[in-house]
Parts: sequence; structure tokens; C-alpha cells
Amino acid sequence: MDKILRIDVGAEDGPKATTMQVGEYAGLGGRALTSAIISKEVPPLCHPLGGDNKLVIAPGLLSGSASAMSGRISVGGKSPLTGGIKEANSGGQPSQVLARLGYNAIVLEGKPKNNDLYKIFINKDGVKISADNSLKMLPNYDLVAKMKSEFGDKISCISIGPAGEMKMASATVAFTDMEQRPTRHAGRGGLGAVMGAKNIKVIVLDDTGMTMRAPKDPEKFKDANKRFVDGLKSHAVTGQGLPAYGTNVLTNILNEVGGYPTYNFKQGRFDGASKISGETEAETEIKRGALPTHGCHRGCVIQCSGTYNDKDGHFLTKQPEYETVWAHGGNCGISDLDKIAMMDFLDDNYGIDTIETGATIAVAMEAGLAEFGDADAAIRMIHDIGKGTHLGRILGGGAAATGKAYGVERVPVVKGQAMPAYDPRAVQGIGVTYATSPMGADHTAGYAVAQNVLKVGGDVNALKPEGQVELSRNLQIATAAIDSTGMCLFIAFAVLDQPETFQAFLDLLNAFYGMELTGDGVTELGKKVLSMERDFNARAGFTSQHDRLPSYFKTEKFAPHNVTFGVKDEDLDKVFNW
Amino acid sequence: MRIENIKSYPRITFYVDGPLVSYFFLLLQQGVTVRSRTGISVASLLREEIGADPMMIEKIQSIILEGKPVDDLESAVIKDGSVLALSAAMPGLVGATLRRGGMYSSFRCAITYHETGGEHVQGEGRVQIKLFNLLMAELGPGLLQKGVILRSEDFIRFAAEQSTNFWKGFSRITIDGEPLSPGELPDSAWLSGKGEVILTVLTDRARA
Repeated sequence: MDKILRIDVGAEDGPKATTMQVGEYAGLGGRALTSAIISKEVPPLCHPLGGDNKLVIAPGLLSGSASAMSGRISVGGKSPLTGGIKEANSGGQPSQVLARLGYNAIVLEGKPKNNDLYKIFINKDGVKISADNSLKMLPNYDLVAKMKSEFGDKISCISIGPAGEMKMASATVAFTDMEQRPTRHAGRGGLGAVMGAKNIKVIVLDDTGMTMRAPKDPEKFKDANKRFVDGLKSHAVTGQGLPAYGTNVLTNILNEVGGYPTYNFKQGRFDGASKISGETEAETEIKRGALPTHGCHRGCVIQCSGTYNDKDGHFLTKQPEYETVWAHGGNCGISDLDKIAMMDFLDDNYGIDTIETGATIAVAMEAGLAEFGDADAAIRMIHDIGKGTHLGRILGGGAAATGKAYGVERVPVVKGQAMPAYDPRAVQGIGVTYATSPMGADHTAGYAVAQNVLKVGGDVNALKPEGQVELSRNLQIATAAIDSTGMCLFIAFAVLDQPETFQAFLDLLNAFYGMELTGDGVTELGKKVLSMERDFNARAGFTSQHDRLPSYFKTEKFAPHNVTFGVKDEDLDKVFNW
Repeated sequence: MRIENIKSYPRITFYVDGPLVSYFFLLLQQGVTVRSRTGISVASLLREEIGADPMMIEKIQSIILEGKPVDDLESAVIKDGSVLALSAAMPGLVGATLRRGGMYSSFRCAITYHETGGEHVQGEGRVQIKLFNLLMAELGPGLLQKGVILRSEDFIRFAAEQSTNFWKGFSRITIDGEPLSPGELPDSAWLSGKGEVILTVLTDRARA
């Protein structure tokens, strides 16, 4: 893996592929690589859908190797949703396949000369790009079926649905899973619209004939991988909780503590929570012959994904995750798991972000377009988005656009991006991350909990109010570093509690590349990534005033605890002081 | 005793083969009521009323009392009418945040449980227990064996939602000791009139 594939979609005779050495970007992967390229090569003031913006797709540092959990892939660009730099990452098969084909990244750049839609096929023999207007407005599932019939059943796909073609700000980039279903998405920030603006519908990957990437020191690598896997399997979260129930295991407890945003962030408890909890979801899946325990890519040992069947036992969608069940469920007052699963399928098929879409529908419900709890109306709105009706164009623009269009004050966004499933008034520390992340409101931005191992910034007194700011800073640094390795963020649980698992993680990287990375090195990598991203945003016009929650979070009391967001602005401004 | 003669809450007992007890677990996430000593600490309730040993208490990573995360099990006091939810370790930053005494507990300091003054007289009362995720299988069978109080309407809804396989799985069902077949389950109106039922589930192991 030592080359970057650049595709100039504005070349005279149609998109032209050039392969070049990785050069100055050597040693970077995942988020570090996408943010480095965007920060250096994209003018911050450009239009996200214009010719100056680029879409970067980069596997992680260990993708394509035998390392467990190394199948995340990052997508970067200037976000049509936030106007700032964006990295969104995803599971699925393409990360492993792209890395085995030898590519550190694919960069889509330039401005198309016409309206033709293109597909790109990459295998061991090279890159083939061809116009195929029969793909126009195909949903992701139909598109992948068509690619399988054309290129065989060994492929993996990176694609956009109709929302991406319509350049909607909630559009995703989809990645196929092990069963070649387009169920995994780089969802946040509307990067599917950037791919749509490049007129690229699908990138088809086939690594037939390629071998697994080999480490510099195979024995040390094998040993580190074993210790790493043992650590993941022995931990209560990664070894038991996530495999049994998936991420939706969080619904019950968030609801119990009154931190589960419901009815468009009006209150912290939802009466229907137990009907849509991870426990109920897993039980439903088992009864219908689906799989509550399943990986989203080969090499996953946590297996937090799953499949969801309809009442007749037929596959409907992948196991809807916590964020999705919340966004389409509790946040919209909906407690019908089957209808939430249908919405998950439609989101994947049309290629729209489940969090942004659920939050948008809740804003639309607040505006009076439908009653809270009306699942059929919510489904109709998603079809509106997928078909590009006038209403759908507004909804596809995200929660902020919909709030503006319909005059709604309570719009839960930061930097234009909808908040995920944790209310920042109940869990104020996560509000610090929502406010200050360069990505906009993002629950994964400060997700990687490794404070006690990394000691980023020294020991933090977590019991002091200012400790929340320091912790958020450290979490964001650790997350940026892990996102750069291509490792699934869920490894963070085992790393948090088990220093020996963190060491095994470092040993994996060191054995693979023959380097001597330490915890300090990981910290420096995270700081470097965040600094690049913050610098891009500053040049794009972002100021400290953008690092704020909407003002109603400071004034509207949140039931049942009747709390407001209490972290001071001057403390928020200290998050990136290092 | 004929059911129409039962004056107090009916006690409905299911006799099941081991694994079938899991059918009842989803009731536990919604919350069941138990009679318990009150004026005691959360730690005492876990040890003495629920029967959790130290290893099990270690597994209970998040404890929510009256909707608030508890850090100190010895100082938080159970009262008549308390609602106590128990969870194993949860994923994500917020999962870590809700762990008792965890590094990230300051993130939710606005909602953390603090015992407020006063002397707590020991007595007896009703406590609602909610079991989440892995703890349903760990603590659920013991709780169900002792018997839990459910609102009649919750039991009626639960019974109505069950498949034929569920009803075939029991060796015996009794109501206040009198054997019943599924077809003889008391009608909903009669159960509703009782307000609550006491549900007991006895497994092979419990009966041995």
C-alpha cells in the first residue's frame, strides 16, 4: 500500500485516472490522510460541490492486513452540510479490499465536463472508468445487484444513492458488507453529495489475485494480534454486551437516566423505549431467524452488527444501530421497531444519513408536517427525500435547512450538523465535544476513551468542572488518532480498561511498519490531525462562535432532571489549548 | 381455591424448563416491583435482597436510582417507592460516563445521585427493579423465582404477545396453587380488576 489513485473527473475525454506514489503523505492513513489531503489541497473557501473540492477515500494503516478490527475506511472532503472539513468513516469490506489492491487513498477531483454518470472498476490489473447513464437514480441495493451481475460476486462497492446524485447535504457514501449489501455508510456531513458532484456513482473493487498485506515482523505482529483479540474478547463490553445486543443496548439506560432526547429534544424520557431497546431488538431478531451477532467486515471479533428480518422472516435491513433507532424512534415519538427498521433500509437504499434524517423528520414534526409518533408519515418523508420531491429536497438538506424553511426554533445542530442521541444537558461533557469538534455535533468525535492510558495533557481532575473541558480535549485527540489507524472505535472500551490491550494495539502498528510508536506518539498524531482540521475551518471562516450549542440548550430545562447546559463559553474556548 | 374466590393479588406461577425463563426477561427491562426492606443502602439491597455476590456486584457497572446514576453504593438509600435500574458495562463514551465512579463521571455531574440528609428509618416497602442487558439473564431467574409484582395490564399484554411455542413450553401453570391450562387463564377483565399480579417463574433448577 504505497500509492494514491487520483481521478480527475474534469479531464477532456472523461474522468482520467493517475496513480502516484504516496509521497509526502506517507505514514498516514484513515482520517489523518483524508484531513491532510483536504487541508493541504482544498481551498477552504471553495464551494463543497464545486470543482475545487475533493473527495478522499482512505483505508486505515492496518487495513488489508490480518489485524483484527482494521476494516474502517475514512471519507473526507469539505462538507456540504457544515461548510467545514469533514471526515466520516464506515465499516464494510471496501477498506480491506482497497488496501490489498495497494491504494492508500482514492482522490476524486475536478469538475465534470458533462452530465454523464460514471462507474469505476479497480482490480489487480488497474483502473477502468466508463460512463453508464443506466445507473442514474438507482437506489443502492439495486445498484449493487447490477454491479454484481456485471462484475461477479467477489466485488465490494463504494456508491451513492439518489440522494448523492441530487447533491443533498444529508447524502452518504455507502460501503458493502460481507454479504455485499450496501448497509455500511460514511454517513455524516453529506459527503455523498460531493461524490455526486463528481458524477461518480460507484467504485467497484475486486481484489482477486491479491494477497493480504504482510507485516515487517510477522512473528511480533502475530503475537500482538493475539493479545489484542484476547483483550477484546475478555472485556465485558466488546466481548459480551456489544455482541449480544449491538449498540442499541444503550437505549434503556439512556432513557432511565433521562438523557434520551425525545420529541425533538424536548424531554429525556420516552415511554416507548422498552419497545425499541437493544434487548427487544435482539429478541425480535432471534425469533425471526435473523442474527443479533454479526460482523460488518471480515476480521471483526466484536460482532456488534446484526441482521433484521421482517415478520415473515425475510431480510429487511441490517440491525438498526442505537443512533438510528433513536433518530427514527424516540426522537420522533415512534415505538414501532419494524417501521424503524424499514426507515433504516430506506435510508441505506436512498443513501442518506440516519441521524441527520431522523433529526430532520423530528424538526418537520415540530413544524407541524406530521404528528409525533406517526411512523407512516415519517416513512413517506423518507420517500420524498429519495424521490427528490420539493418537500424531499428541503428535508434532504438536513435539520438546519428544514428548520429554516419551516421557521422552527428548536433545531438541535452544531455547525449545521444534527446532534446524535445523547442530550448535552443531561450528559454535559458530551456537549463540550458536540460544540467544539471540527466536525459539527458528533458523538464519535470524542469517543475513544483512553485517558488513563494515554495521560494526554497530564492527569485530569475529572471531578472539577473544568475537568470536562480537559477530558473532551483528550477524548478528541485519542479519537482522531484511532480514526487514523482504520481501527473500529469500539476497540476503545478494551483499551480504556486494559492497558495491556492498548499496548497490544501499539505493538500491532509497530510490528507491521517496523516502527517504535509509543502512547506519546499516538497523542501527537491525534493533535496533528485536529490541528489540521481546526486550521482548515479557521481559513473557511469558522470562529469560536461556531463552537457553541444552540442557545435554547442553555435556557430550556430538560425533563426529568430539569437541567440546562452549564459549561461556560470561555471554558469551551479552552478545549484546544495545548 | 377457585379463582373467583381470590381476594388479594393472584399469584401466577409458571413451571418451566431452564432456558424458557428467558421469555420473561423483557418484562424485567420495563421494571417489576418487589417487596423489600427499605432505609437500607443500595449495596445492602443488592447483597441481601437480590442475592448478588461481590463478583456479580462488580459486573453491575451502572446503577441508576430514581433516574440518577449512583457512584457510592453504600451511601445511596432505598426508600419505599424507589426505582432502581441495573446495567452491565455499556459501550460508547456515554456508556463509560454512566459507569459508577468512572473516570468520566464528571460528564454527567448534573444528574448524578446524591443522598440528601435526614435519617433513614428501616422498614419494608415496595421497590421497582429494572434489569437491563446481560443482567437480565444473570439476575432475572433469581428475581422471578422469588416472585415479582406486575401491573395486571402489563401481565395481560405480555401474555397476549406470546406465541404458541411459549405456552407449549411450560410443564405447569398455577394460580394460587391451582393448576391451570393456558386456555383456562383468567380473563382479562378479572385480572384487570385485581390491579396487580404476583408472577413467579420456577425453573427445573429452582425446583430441584
